Amino acid sequence: MYNTEFRGKLIEGNKSLGQISQDIVRPIDAKTPRWWFISMGISLVMLGLGLYAKYITVTEGIGSWGLNNSVGWGWAIINFVWWIGIGHAGTAFSIFLLILRQKWRTSINRAAEAMTVVAVMCAGLFPLLHMGRVWNFFFVLPYPNTRGPLWVNFNSPLFWDFVAITAYLLISASFWYFGMVPDFATIRDTTKSKIKKAVYGFFAFGWTGSSKEWLRYEALAFILGGIAAVLVVSVHSIVSTDFAVSVVPGWHTTIFPPYFVVGAIFSGFAMVLTLVTMIRKLYKMNDFITDSHVDAVTRVLIFVSLIMGTAYFTEVFIAWYSASEYEYYMFFKNRVFGEYAFQFWAMVICNAFIPQLFWWKKIRSNITAVFIISLFINLGMWFERFNIVVTTLAKDFLPAAWAGYSPSYIEILLFIGTLGLFGAGVLMFFRYIPMIAIHEVKSVAKYDKPSHERKHRNHEE
Amino acid sequence: MNLDVKYVFPSKLKMLCIALMVVGVITFVAGFLINPDKTWANYLLNNFYFVSLSIGALFFLLIQYIANAGWSAVFKRVPHAMGAYLPIAAVFFILLYFGMHSIYHWTHEGIAETDKIIAWKLPYLNIPFMMIRIVMFFALWILLSRYLKKLTLKEDLQGGTGFFEKSVYYSRVTIFVLALTFPFFVVDMIMSIDVHWFSTLFALKNFIAAFFHGSAIIALIVILLNKVGYFPMLNNSHLHDFSRYMFMLCIVWGYFWFAQFMLIWYGNIPEETAYFVHRWESDWKTLFFVDLFINWFLPFIILMPRKTSRSKPVLIPMIIILIIGQYIDLYLQIMPGTVHENSFGWLEIGTFAGYTGLFAFMVLNALSKMNLYPKNHPYIEESIHHHF
Repeated sequence: MYNTEFRGKLIEGNKSLGQISQDIVRPIDAKTPRWWFISMGISLVMLGLGLYAKYITVTEGIGSWGLNNSVGWGWAIINFVWWIGIGHAGTAFSIFLLILRQKWRTSINRAAEAMTVVAVMCAGLFPLLHMGRVWNFFFVLPYPNTRGPLWVNFNSPLFWDFVAITAYLLISASFWYFGMVPDFATIRDTTKSKIKKAVYGFFAFGWTGSSKEWLRYEALAFILGGIAAVLVVSVHSIVSTDFAVSVVPGWHTTIFPPYFVVGAIFSGFAMVLTLVTMIRKLYKMNDFITDSHVDAVTRVLIFVSLIMGTAYFTEVFIAWYSASEYEYYMFFKNRVFGEYAFQFWAMVICNAFIPQLFWWKKIRSNITAVFIISLFINLGMWFERFNIVVTTLAKDFLPAAWAGYSPSYIEILLFIGTLGLFGAGVLMFFRYIPMIAIHEVKSVAKYDKPSHERKHRNHEE
Repeated sequence: MNLDVKYVFPSKLKMLCIALMVVGVITFVAGFLINPDKTWANYLLNNFYFVSLSIGALFFLLIQYIANAGWSAVFKRVPHAMGAYLPIAAVFFILLYFGMHSIYHWTHEGIAETDKIIAWKLPYLNIPFMMIRIVMFFALWILLSRYLKKLTLKEDLQGGTGFFEKSVYYSRVTIFVLALTFPFFVVDMIMSIDVHWFSTLFALKNFIAAFFHGSAIIALIVILLNKVGYFPMLNNSHLHDFSRYMFMLCIVWGYFWFAQFMLIWYGNIPEETAYFVHRWESDWKTLFFVDLFINWFLPFIILMPRKTSRSKPVLIPMIIILIIGQYIDLYLQIMPGTVHENSFGWLEIGTFAGYTGLFAFMVLNALSKMNLYPKNHPYIEESIHHHF
């Protein structure tokens, strides 16, 4: 009884199940296109620049960054939060849309999950490097040790962060991997190359596709999904407590946990949109990532953008309403009008205003416009983190300690390095893994058939 | 299946509603004679309580539209009917004008001269502007909810998909309006009671509470109507979906509650902790934890298993507990700043009974005037045969 009249088609072109497998697996068996090598080259160069910056950071120390005593957190933390935010999309897509039975998720979730895993790895780099002595990073693990014994501070959100992110990386990576097992089996069974057969066969864990396997498989997906749904909220809530448990104006505000989670989902969805519009264009996957898929993501973005706008507005309003002169100063004299007005308004315009263009159907259905707006959101979310991290630290309670901040070239190169890592990771994913979850797309294929063709299946729904 | 069914509002039930209303009126009269300040606080509490249910139900409806949700199509008339309470609520809130001095500390003459914080807030917190806001908010909510109702009723008569598309569009508009109005409404009506205190999450927490309890009431009305023979298509999957809403929202509610409490506790700034310290003192302490227990813990545990979330005998008492839960939550937000002592008694019970009668009357009366099922809704078939 699923009605595609309003919801839009899930798969275009009236494909048979066999065609679906062929279409999705085709890029893996085809010759690697030239643009792939070019973009991989660029990504690797960027990655190399990042490695150089890491070398300098490790050998010379944090002094090579542009930080000072007042602004002790700069680009590193901004980028950390930014990447973690992007890393939320995969789970947001897979889990929340799975729970909400949104069938359009099937064409997009694989790309989103892949992105999650790479983005979380990019994010993890920054706190590690920020420790200064990265080779001692295991000090943050709480275990009985010979250092005193010296325990971590369990009251510190920085420690909660470590736990949450590690757990999140493990769960989202396993969720992603187990989701691919049946698809690896499909490649193993269809490919002609012997090497591929062996490699994909190894990763497919001997999947045969019996009904018992599917039964267990689906139970596993739901259990992992349930755990990840909690983690996705906890990770960014905890990232927000890094700021919010302090007593500094601009950081200490109760809205932070949900506001960070929503912001993370926002930036993640934007990055997913960037990515799937690219997949659609480069691999001509229009039949799977249809106009209605893009439409659905953009509509989610309008809604989330509205929440973001409300949150910005609430913060500014309460800063005034609180009648606390420090809060007032932070927001009105520093952010809204003041030294950091550019970053503040860049954030508001990119996150709260520009996505509202999606109200117009014309813009929603113009892929170029959608792509550009998604980039603006990515940018806006970066400015949001700048706004939070730097403006508060730059001007705290002691005017004598006020300081400016600008990143050194090492910090910029570190960021470029993570962009390179992300690019390389995503390109590897394009090349070697089915970009779209084959078995999940097949499971929704029946809904696009005209009702008289699937009448005999109605009892299933 | 015959979808041309109308709900008949039984006269016995009508009498019961009217009887409850009479109880409410008598309690109010007695209350105003004995303890006007406390009665005004109860007046605000009940007004806000039932508006939050209407707005929560409206939001539920909007979400169904914008998310293209199919399963709930057949029940959409219930939240539509719950909007019928809004016009009366508007009148009540305007009448609150006469009780402001009893409730809001900042309305007292000359207080701004001695209290710097209140003086700072005067451009926003002053009686004329507050009345303008009340009128404006209610005008917008009533207009939009009525328009959405009109669209779905027209769809019954004329059919076609145009009305549905229009409803989706206006649902987006309404969400936009709600996002910009309801938080201010909460700040005005509840947060400004403790006028020195502020929290950015407060308004959103109340929004979620409204959505949470509004959805629960929709489920309750549907289940009860099913018991007397309406909604014969209500099956386990529908019940499970209603439970999922409650389950999800109880988690969000608990999350917001904890986020607000924990950050204030951890920050330990006197201006902020004062609010919780007050509620932590002996008089309120039990309720403070009971609030968290029945709004978060109980539904979280009870609605987790598949079996219980598909069972009417579990859901009905669960929702009744949630009705009490929302009352306790608002009681804890309003009473400590107005009445200052925890003295629950006949006044609270009588006024709540009166409002319950009124709300039930308005909703059921509105429901009896419409076709019970939106028969030309594009997802109606999907909804009737919903199964997962």
